[in-house]
Amino acid sequence: MKPPPFDYSAPTTLDEALALLLEHGEDARPLAGGQSLVPLLSFRLARPSHLVDLAGISELGSIVVDDGHLVIGAMVRERAAERHDDVRLLAPLLAQALPLIGHPAIRSRGTIGGSLAHADPAAELPAVALLLDAELVAQSRDRGKRTIKAADFFSGFFTTALQPDEILTEVRIRRPALRTGSAIEEVARRHGDFAMVGAAAMVRLEDGKIADARVALTGVSDIPVRATEAEAILEGAEPTDEAFATAAEEAAKSLSPPADLHGSSSYRRHLATVLMRRTFKLAAQRAKEAA
Amino acid sequence: MQNIAERYTGASVKRSEDPRILTGTGCYVDDVRLPGMLHAAFVRSPSAHARITGVDVTEARKLPGVIAVLTGEELDALTVRGPGAAGMFSAGLPMPSFSVLATDKVRLVGDPVVLVVAESRYLAEDACELVVVDYEELPAVITQEQALDPAGPPIFEDLGSNVLVRSPVATFGDVEGAFARADRVVRAELRQHRHQNVPMECRGVVCSFDLGSGELTVYSATQGVHIARTGFATQLDMPLEKVRVLAGDIGGSFGLKLGAAREDIACAAASRRLGRPIRWIEDRSENLTASGQARDESFEVEAAISNEGHILGLRVKMIIDTGAYPGLGGMLPEAVKGMIPGPYKIGALSFESTAVITNKASYVAYRGPWASETWVRERMIDLIAKELAMEPLEVRLRNVVTRGEPPLQMLTGRSLVGVTSRESLDRIAALVDVEAFRRRQAEARAQGRYLGLGLATYIEAAPGPRTPGGGGGIMGPEQMRLRLEEDGTVTVFTSQMPHGQSHQTTLAQIAADEFGVPFDQVRVVVGDTDVVPMGFGTGGSRSATMAGGVSLHGARALRAKVFEVAAHLFEASPEDMDLAAGAVSVRGVPARAVPLGEIARAAHEPGRVPRDLEGDLEVTAEYDGGEGGWAGGTHAAIVEVDVETGQVRIERYLVAEDCGVLINPAIVEGQVRGGVAQGIGAVLLERSAYDPDSGQYLSSTFMDYLIPTACEIPRIEIEHLETVPLDADVNFRGVGEGGMIIAPPTLCNAIEDALSPMGVRVTEQHLPPCRILELIGAIALDP
Ligand SMILES: Cc1cc2nc3c(=O)[nH]c(=O)nc-3n(C[C@H](O)[C@H](O)[C@H](O)COP(=O)(O)OP(=O)(O)OC[C@H]3O[C@@H](n4cnc5c(N)ncnc54)[C@H](O)[C@@H]3O)c2cc1C
Repeated sequence: MKPPPFDYSAPTTLDEALALLLEHGEDARPLAGGQSLVPLLSFRLARPSHLVDLAGISELGSIVVDDGHLVIGAMVRERAAERHDDVRLLAPLLAQALPLIGHPAIRSRGTIGGSLAHADPAAELPAVALLLDAELVAQSRDRGKRTIKAADFFSGFFTTALQPDEILTEVRIRRPALRTGSAIEEVARRHGDFAMVGAAAMVRLEDGKIADARVALTGVSDIPVRATEAEAILEGAEPTDEAFATAAEEAAKSLSPPADLHGSSSYRRHLATVLMRRTFKLAAQRAKEAA
Repeated sequence: MQNIAERYTGASVKRSEDPRILTGTGCYVDDVRLPGMLHAAFVRSPSAHARITGVDVTEARKLPGVIAVLTGEELDALTVRGPGAAGMFSAGLPMPSFSVLATDKVRLVGDPVVLVVAESRYLAEDACELVVVDYEELPAVITQEQALDPAGPPIFEDLGSNVLVRSPVATFGDVEGAFARADRVVRAELRQHRHQNVPMECRGVVCSFDLGSGELTVYSATQGVHIARTGFATQLDMPLEKVRVLAGDIGGSFGLKLGAAREDIACAAASRRLGRPIRWIEDRSENLTASGQARDESFEVEAAISNEGHILGLRVKMIIDTGAYPGLGGMLPEAVKGMIPGPYKIGALSFESTAVITNKASYVAYRGPWASETWVRERMIDLIAKELAMEPLEVRLRNVVTRGEPPLQMLTGRSLVGVTSRESLDRIAALVDVEAFRRRQAEARAQGRYLGLGLATYIEAAPGPRTPGGGGGIMGPEQMRLRLEEDGTVTVFTSQMPHGQSHQTTLAQIAADEFGVPFDQVRVVVGDTDVVPMGFGTGGSRSATMAGGVSLHGARALRAKVFEVAAHLFEASPEDMDLAAGAVSVRGVPARAVPLGEIARAAHEPGRVPRDLEGDLEVTAEYDGGEGGWAGGTHAAIVEVDVETGQVRIERYLVAEDCGVLINPAIVEGQVRGGVAQGIGAVLLERSAYDPDSGQYLSSTFMDYLIPTACEIPRIEIEHLETVPLDADVNFRGVGEGGMIIAPPTLCNAIEDALSPMGVRVTEQHLPPCRILELIGAIALDP
């Protein structure tokens, strides 16, 4: 469990980092909090010959509010985001999701950008980004900046729209509309483990009816997925337990989650149903309270 | 002796190990650095079962920084074949011949094939990638069914089949009669899943062969330095005297680190060949994959019962999967057979067993190695209660032995003297209030919440009652040397090799009391074959009685010897000597007291005492276990199962344990909690999983093999019973294994009770959330 040899650079500006990525091409890899990349190196499952450490680049490390958007730098540590007032105010779902990641020690190292770029289908942040229609900003030396919608960002198991010469620099999240409630719940084997399945839901109420319902799932596919059937069923419906149960059951029918040691495919589908129902209900309740 | 109120024994004296361990200044094998030390890594088999058709190490040898690459064949020439550590428990059983590293075949995923020695572990691993081994795949033998199939490929050709031992039916009492008389027969096929030790510190050695003296020094993480030394000497064909094994702090073992492992021997042989120290620190994936695993047994049980809940007879068939390189697994069924009646008045028993070899990691001892006897029995009792619609506690109370009443012996022979299961059951019943719980359970069910109560009881021979003609101690008597030093302190040399059991505290407590010095003036020396007495080491929950007993008797003998020397100095009689405040005086003349250190010096100075008392003020003591006795207890768990997700929450966990006289309650409780935590892990989290077709090991990382963390373990309420003194002096009994033996059935019983409205019958020990939903029928079994 020792990594093969690699070179290491610690640039202090984004430009420098981008230049290094361009220079080394596919052999280079950005290193953020290292909570996923370092184990992959130790198992020799990833073998980059050059690591570009992003930790010294201060321009990637801030949280700002810009035109109704919460803008989080890629290198913001998960723990720092979790404790940030603006995150709690402007992206309550993100604030609810962050404490579910690992343990505090892991979140003190792990970064928002690292989690999104790593794109683990069991991870919370990709699902949250998807649900919130977050915008992910990528930058390369040659082509400059581009903005990628979360829905277009996750392309497969641990794969994203990022090119080898690109760095994810920030994520932009729009503040939720009024009378919106959100919730995230998951089932993990142990406290702090990657969940077998998780559901994040957001419900907006208008005149006592559901104006907008969204749900995103982790652990049921190779990427985080929105359960659009459930969302469609709930639009315009009364926020009742029965409505949530029906929507969850209908949406789960089309899922064929992967199986592993921790749970079968049927189990994960079942969990998805239960968790969608629970999170819709909780989100609707919070939406009512927000009114 | 001091008066009772001032005694250390029985008090939660703070552990003398803690300051160094908690401040990170302990010395583990990983901390050993020798000049010129090299690092080892192993090329391991990617296949469960394959023939080795070629090994090419050319490229690996060329890598800069690589000092040696030794193939299985090359190491075979440098070592003596044999079962090594695995053979320790298997005397008399058929034993295949096996080499230190794989030569002809690989027999499990992770089987070591080539040893690489390099300037760093990193380089050694780089070189491992350059070794090319050609394999011809063979069908993997993974399940019991595959192993029992006579057409299957034999894993060891010299054995001819994969059945290692088939033990014929043994009967005790009138089995046929019991089943003929029975009102009912309860049948179950019970499955005990494979899981493993997972010490915080993996295995490791630093081996240093000195070309000048021809001596081998090994620093090892081991449960017993002498047994390890014997292993090295045997497989390296060296005289015992030329091998020295040392051990420092050890980060847990639970039965894993016994003797010299195959990897250890390989490193020692390489060190002898190269004349340089070699260090091998096992990493976690090696540890999970190849260090050894435990449990993995299945049982067919029939219980003949009366309508009143009496167990008239049991028929038990056991199959054990010993993994690839057989050792402990072969003899284990004998232990299960002996213990399966437990503390119950079971009328008759028939028992037969088969041990099979498979392409999985070798079966090793794990905290309460034959715990399946307890799991099977305690599970059966709940199934019997279910059949009769009786309270499981009641079935236990109707069958459990009462102290002093017949039967005085277990059906299988052992004396039941001092068994206190009934007392611990009564205590738990009082603590839980079963009737109140049943009311609460009914109310909760009405609201769709599923609570369950489980309890289970066990006894453990720790060390076991005195047997006719022998002491209570298994694995022989225990020796100890004790010496009074010139500074007035006492040094205790023990063969115990503590790896979490706190002997440096507990043995000092006992010796301090008995000798009559403050606790901090007793130093306990462990872990060096050059200085500690011969002995097995630490294991089998034997040290409380055996080492505790020899510490007591040894300190008493040392005190007598000190008094004898002092008597000469005072020209008085030893009977008139008195020891107080670190000085000896003639009773009634405290003003003329001589400090203990002065007495030690006097013995060292020629002419001050008679010749036969001159020299070190030292005694060697031996203890046979005295009257011995049983440890045991009853545990109870109250759980709530979320029937939508299958998650189990432990609301309350209670322990009523009896390990006799407590040496140090805090340490006893630590042992109990640790054991319970591992038992909870076994049921809810831990499984050593193999792909049944390819034989690939699926639990080789901590993302797959889940051990409980502090978040998963509830508060554990512990009550101590100190019921039966059997011996005039030594009534300490072992407590290390009990928690792990009894927590799994306790939890399984609680979970089944919670799910009883769904008609769930639990016949397997591992109950992760997915499985719970399968059992209640909420989800289908995946194809
Ligand atoms: C024990 C443990 C438990 C965990 N539990 C959870 C959990 O429950 N849920 C969860 O979501 N996560 C969990 N994690 C993962 C962790 O919290 C991080 O989210 C994750 O490791 C990624 O963040 P990082 O900063 O560590 O990225 P790194 O490990 O440094 O990098 C991950 C990958 O992303 C790439 N990358 C990183 N930053 C950028 C960037 N700015 N631009 C382009 N590419 C980039 C890297 O090149 C690498 O390929 C756990 C980790 C551990 C060790």
